[in-house]
Amino acid sequence: MARWLWPHFSAFVVTLFLAVSLPPSAAKAQNKTTLEVDAALDLPVVAPLLAAFERAHPEIEVSFQDRSTLEVDERARSASPAPDVVISSAMPWQMARVNDGLAQPLNSDAASEWPSWAKWRNEVFGFTFEPIVTVYRLNLARHMLPPQTHADLHTILNTHQEMLRGRVTTYSPSGSGIGYTLFQQDARYSPRFWDLVAALGAADVQLENSTQKMLEGLTDGRYWVGYNLLGSYAIQWARSHPELIVQIPQDYSLVMMRMAFIHRYAPNPEAARTFMNFLLSADGQQILAGETPLFSVLPDVVGPYTSQRLRDQVGERLYPIPIDASLLAFVDPMRRDVFMNRWRREIRILNP
Amino acid sequence: MRLLIVEDDPLIADSLHQGLAPLGNTVEVFTSLKETRAALAHSQFDLVVLDLGLPDGSGLSLLAEIRERRDTTPIMILTARDGVAERVKGLDLGADDYLTKPFSLPELQARVRALLRRSQQRIDNHLRFGPLCFDPASGNATLFGEHLDLPPRELGLIEGLLLYAGRIAPREHLINRLFGFGEAGPNALEVYVSRLRKRLQGSGLRIRTLRGLGYRLEDDPE
Amino acid sequence: MIVVKGTLKQRLGAWLLAAFGVLGTFLLIEAYTSAERAADRAYDSLLQAASLTIGEAVQWQGGQPVVEIPAAAFQMLATEQQERVFYTVVDSDGQSVTGNLDAAILETLHHQSSRQSEPVWSFLQYAGASIRVHGRQLKSAGWESVEPLQIWVGHTLSGRESLTQDLFTKALIRFVVMVMLTGLLMLVAIRTALGPVRRLRQLIRQRKADDVSPLNAEVPGELYDMAETLNALFERQREGRNALLRFSADASHQLKTPLAGLQSTSELALQSNQPEDWRQALQTVHDSSERTSRLAGQLLSLSRLRHAEAGSKTQIDLSDLLRKTITEWADRDIAKHHDLGMAALPDAPIYIQGEPWSLHELIGNLIDNALRYTPAGSEITLGLTKQENTVELRIQDNGPGVNPELLDRLHQPFERGGRQDTEGSGLGLAIVNSIVQRHQATLEIHSEPGHGLCVRILFPTLAEET
Repeated sequence: MARWLWPHFSAFVVTLFLAVSLPPSAAKAQNKTTLEVDAALDLPVVAPLLAAFERAHPEIEVSFQDRSTLEVDERARSASPAPDVVISSAMPWQMARVNDGLAQPLNSDAASEWPSWAKWRNEVFGFTFEPIVTVYRLNLARHMLPPQTHADLHTILNTHQEMLRGRVTTYSPSGSGIGYTLFQQDARYSPRFWDLVAALGAADVQLENSTQKMLEGLTDGRYWVGYNLLGSYAIQWARSHPELIVQIPQDYSLVMMRMAFIHRYAPNPEAARTFMNFLLSADGQQILAGETPLFSVLPDVVGPYTSQRLRDQVGERLYPIPIDASLLAFVDPMRRDVFMNRWRREIRILNP
Repeated sequence: MRLLIVEDDPLIADSLHQGLAPLGNTVEVFTSLKETRAALAHSQFDLVVLDLGLPDGSGLSLLAEIRERRDTTPIMILTARDGVAERVKGLDLGADDYLTKPFSLPELQARVRALLRRSQQRIDNHLRFGPLCFDPASGNATLFGEHLDLPPRELGLIEGLLLYAGRIAPREHLINRLFGFGEAGPNALEVYVSRLRKRLQGSGLRIRTLRGLGYRLEDDPE
Repeated sequence: MIVVKGTLKQRLGAWLLAAFGVLGTFLLIEAYTSAERAADRAYDSLLQAASLTIGEAVQWQGGQPVVEIPAAAFQMLATEQQERVFYTVVDSDGQSVTGNLDAAILETLHHQSSRQSEPVWSFLQYAGASIRVHGRQLKSAGWESVEPLQIWVGHTLSGRESLTQDLFTKALIRFVVMVMLTGLLMLVAIRTALGPVRRLRQLIRQRKADDVSPLNAEVPGELYDMAETLNALFERQREGRNALLRFSADASHQLKTPLAGLQSTSELALQSNQPEDWRQALQTVHDSSERTSRLAGQLLSLSRLRHAEAGSKTQIDLSDLLRKTITEWADRDIAKHHDLGMAALPDAPIYIQGEPWSLHELIGNLIDNALRYTPAGSEITLGLTKQENTVELRIQDNGPGVNPELLDRLHQPFERGGRQDTEGSGLGLAIVNSIVQRHQATLEIHSEPGHGLCVRILFPTLAEET
């Protein structure tokens, strides 16, 4: 089923020993619990959070495994021993694992105070708030009005079809779980989505499997416009690449959440709960908001990257992908087949 | 003889004093328990006539105190007519006799005399009634001081009658004394009684038969 | 002696508690099962709706079923309780077309379903949880002949459980509130019901001590008996008081007469100068005062006997008591001139139930009477005979006897049988009669003029002796 899922980021495994503050006695160090975290999340992005956690809980050593969503899902189902904490951006698959009973509930103050729209059964929690964005090169503006909405994108694809041919990129719905999820969600919200797919197909859209690849192509000039990129990575990338403009669509903007759960067969459930509670705590969210581009979910956290600030900028057009049972429909194999059939049909429809 | 009268009613106390004075050398009258206790603490009396209803308590408590001291001074209690329970209690506590008010002076005198006599007998061990005297230790009987020569059963009868001096000696008591249990019929007793009657003729004493009850040695009025 | 043994409130409370205990257990069991049924109905309808929604999405393309599972179906299955959801679509070969529910698990249910083509409802253990599953056959009539599909949906039970809890808790609260309300009503009802009792008590409390008139009150039917009993009690008290008043009047009259005699005798003596007169008067005064004090004593005895509670009775050897009492009297001065004797007694003791002191008084009064109403030298004989059911106490004299016409009145106070010449007070036989009545005995008096008087008292014998 996950045949088409290939690594979101290069599938290297980093074992992190963030020895920020070494414990005074060696004996104490030997008593450290090693917490196994399987995550589809870039280590550099999340490093400040992990460092803060180990400062707060020196008795726990985090072994952070940055893997592809495919690997994370595969290991969550069959690895032995199971990982302690599973984090992934592939929301429907995370949801399916929870529905399969692979998560254990977290009963803590932080968990019960967590906004209900960002959790399910007190077992899985969406702990980031990452907008989906359109990225274009600055020089695009010399030729045309930069797209501010989905409709704008559709328009320039039609009006500047020749100029943009081969210079538009987006996720591959078959190669990326996130991409597939985003397109499914797009199709649910807008009936004109398939027109956009047809227009993308006419412009000979280039399909990539990760935001990283798309950003690299945009930076080196291969691509002029990228559609449905992860805002968290794009914003950070754009800081060091001023030729790229990150546009949060002004009509509606999807928001993706990384979902984390404690594995039912976690070898260190106590440490796993401590980690999750930290993730959901005001302290953890403060670090997300201040030191990572992942955006905090909590409305009262202050920092450059907060959902509240995003809402203030974009207004009420943010559409977080809901964490509920409807996500399960996206992993239904037959529904996926139906969707992919339509995709293949629509993408060729203007380009026979 | 010293007699002690405890009575709070002045009229009765006075008549008791008058009636008992001829029987003793001194008669003292007290009207409360307190005074009586003080008097008993200092002196010895030969008889106490005790009224039970006194202003500072019941005579019964005094009676109990006297008997607790193992003092055997004869005590006669005076009770009201309806004081049956008190009377029974008094006898239980060791009173020797009782009289209910109102009483006749001669009866009181007779009872007091009998009590004094019994108490006297306890002292010299002789049984007496009028001129008749019996010494249980030697088995001698005398009438007006003269030795009576009698067979043993008649002597036994005299002793039996004298033990009840002035009161009825029950038949059964006398029969058991003379014949032992079940040895003789009731008529046998009558035989000895009539023999003794003859002996006593002219002595101023007589033996009276009380039908079904017994015999009584009493003064002969003739 | 009034002993407080619980209160009506406690009794009713205990009954109510027991009733509610039994009833409550049944009610709550019923409430729980019906809450469960209600929760199942509610949630089963969601399963049904989800199944219908999935059924609507089934399309046939080239004879093959294609289902674009609607997200709404999952929302329905998950419910607000965020259940774990399970579903599968199974083709006619028993192969799962799509879904996350293992078709093999449904094997048996599957057969059942295809055979009966009726919806299946079942509770299962699946994937580490208890789930409720619903399966139904989807027949599709169409241009092409197509095999039927089965649609299975299921979810975990936390919603049902919490709804059951919820409904049950509400039922429990309703029940508890009802119990409390009932208790409150009971208290009010008791207060109201006891109102008449309180009013009756008030009425009795407010009475003056000597008020023995009948009660005048409105009472409910249940209290009529009690009020009636109280009135009967007052009636008896009234009679007793009247008797007492009559007796006191009689008694003071009886006492006044000798006192008047004393007064006149002493006044006469005071007017005389003759010592001989004084002596005679003193003699009269002495005799009269002796009689008077005896009269007062007897009056006291009689009134005590008539108005005092009967004391406790004990087993008494009547022959022993008789012997002792006669002996006591034979030794008295008053008996000096009479031939007082006792007829031969049976050898064995004769027992009756009685009060020792009053029986002693009874025998004494009989002897005293005989001594006073017969001339000196008369024979007086007491005897005791045991008969089949009674013990007869008898006193016989050979005095002048009493006129038979007067016999019936002899036991009444102050009756002297036409003999005003003696020292008797006329109370002796009245006292005897009172004591006889206290012992449930009977008094018989026989007399023929010139042949003396015979008084017989028949006591009932002890039941255990027969």
